[in-house]
Amino acid sequence: MAELRLQGLTKRFGEVVAVRDLTVTVESGELVALLGPSGCGKTTTLRMVAGFEAPTQGRVVLGGRDVTDDPPERRNCGMVFQHYALFPHLTVEQNVAFGLEMRRLPRSEVRRRVGEILERVGLTGLARRYPRQLSGGQQQRTALARALVINPSVLLLDEPLANLDAKLREEMRFYIRSLQREFGITTLYVTHDQAEALVLADRIAVLMNGVLQQVGSPEEIYSRPRTATVAAFLGVTNLLPGRVVARRSDLVVLRTSAGIVRACGADGLAEGAEAVVSIRPEHIDLDRADAPGSRDGVNHLRGVVRERTFLGGLVDFRVDLGEGFLLRVQGRAGAPQRVGDQVSVLFDPQAAWALPAQETA
Amino acid sequence: MSAAQAETVIGRSVSRQLGRHLLVVPALAVVVLCFVIPYLNLLVISAMTPSTRAAYLPVFTLANYTRLIADPFTWRVIWHTLWLGGLTTALSLLLGYPLAYHLARAPRRSRGLLMVLVISPLLVGVLIRTYGWMILLQDTGVINQFLRSLGARGVPLMYNDLGVLIGLTHVFVPFMVLSVAGTIQGVDPELELAARSLGAGAWRAFWRVTWPLSLPGVTAGTLLVFVLAISSYVIPSLLGGFTVLTVPILVVRTVTELFNWPAGSAFAILFFAITLAILWVYLRIMGWASRGVS
Repeated sequence: MAELRLQGLTKRFGEVVAVRDLTVTVESGELVALLGPSGCGKTTTLRMVAGFEAPTQGRVVLGGRDVTDDPPERRNCGMVFQHYALFPHLTVEQNVAFGLEMRRLPRSEVRRRVGEILERVGLTGLARRYPRQLSGGQQQRTALARALVINPSVLLLDEPLANLDAKLREEMRFYIRSLQREFGITTLYVTHDQAEALVLADRIAVLMNGVLQQVGSPEEIYSRPRTATVAAFLGVTNLLPGRVVARRSDLVVLRTSAGIVRACGADGLAEGAEAVVSIRPEHIDLDRADAPGSRDGVNHLRGVVRERTFLGGLVDFRVDLGEGFLLRVQGRAGAPQRVGDQVSVLFDPQAAWALPAQETA
Repeated sequence: MSAAQAETVIGRSVSRQLGRHLLVVPALAVVVLCFVIPYLNLLVISAMTPSTRAAYLPVFTLANYTRLIADPFTWRVIWHTLWLGGLTTALSLLLGYPLAYHLARAPRRSRGLLMVLVISPLLVGVLIRTYGWMILLQDTGVINQFLRSLGARGVPLMYNDLGVLIGLTHVFVPFMVLSVAGTIQGVDPELELAARSLGAGAWRAFWRVTWPLSLPGVTAGTLLVFVLAISSYVIPSLLGGFTVLTVPILVVRTVTELFNWPAGSAFAILFFAITLAILWVYLRIMGWASRGVS
């Protein structure tokens, strides 16, 4: 068991800075998802941890040992590649045995450990197959077995589910999660899929343009994002611009184009500051426009339904709040509002999150 | 579907297949006309009686073969030819493989330039290229003059096996590089990284992963170079100066100097058969070695 610490990790490719001054710690046994859009530097980070790429600056510390200058073969990282990188000329069991053979373990122990891990991932019957004779999910499990069998200090996963179909991807999320818990292995998981990160991770590190935006639990990142970019990247949200007119104990009061909004707010939002309010569509209720005065403390705005999209279990509304601001609202399947209806828009201040207006995009 | 419909569907697929097969006809025609028929002709001549008046007497005999097989000189020359061919192949592989690896892993931009450099020996005609080597290698050549100017003794670099080997390897390295680079390019570089992360050093990762996966290219390259080397004529005659005897040289001499067409043909056919047998065994071995490689 080991913790993984990245200290001020920076990688430059010529003029391009792929990763800038990244500091993150993955606690022993913890799964941290490195989340970001493609090209944000997350894979580069993973490759620096694995030793495939030398950082321009900063250190990689694994289990208290500085491995920054060690070649990959001396880091004891279990890596699962996006395309699995299974050895095509070796069978499943030979693939899995590879790392143990490199450690020059006795033949009998290699056979025992390969047998055990194949049983654990449910591939015992396929041990003699070649990778090309396996389905995507089976290849994925082979890659996991090959990485786990060496008892790595840290498990590195590079978009491991990106090449599976939607249904299998969903299954594998939970599968990887349970496997990781069972082995209690420190894991760094790279993904661009926020749903995947939310399901899998103990903590999420959001990386954008090579810069770490925020680290925190999935709930924290989802409901208390630190910037509007992070808020928009995780799930769907409405970003309503406004100006802080007052701070009242734990609430921030903002004047927006649609009216006065009370919200919870990040620290450092002073009176007069430009801000945006992030409101998730699932936290908004619609009511008749002539509904009696709002419940106490609940934000109350008015708008007109512009679009209504049936999504099966849910209905997706676009509500015009005036000045062209379209608010996304998620309603239950039977929601009575129709296009053109005047509606009241209601949401709790606890569900509204005020953020500093974006300095830079 | 009615029977008539089924028939037209089948008919269509048959004619489509036929159309596909028609594509091989031009190549097949060339092979038959320029290769199979001449070889059959050679086979016929090799079983005819030698004559001093005509190319051969149309009288059937196996004497050409029995005489050839009984003569230890025949076997010495065959062995020497195969030996030179094998050595050339090994040397080409040794020089060509690292080059191919580098080429395959080079950034796309520089790959074109490297490719031109690799095939540059083929851009010069064989005679000019070989005379170039003679200028360098002969006893009074550039290399030996340089050695003597340093006070060292001259080294015989030509009119021996070494000269032939140098000349042959020079031309055949490109064939090796192109064959091998193709397969290495098809080997995902991440496989080597995967091996590294599993604890293999750079060398072991190469030997356990990239090398076995590149064997199909190695097979193709070695086969190509070996066949070209044992059948080459100009380079061994010029750089070997007729002190190096190979099968092609001997066949040409038998036909053009001794005017013994049947004996020369018999020699050619015998060597052809031996080469075929060697290649068959070699392909079996390489096929076994690269089993599992798709």
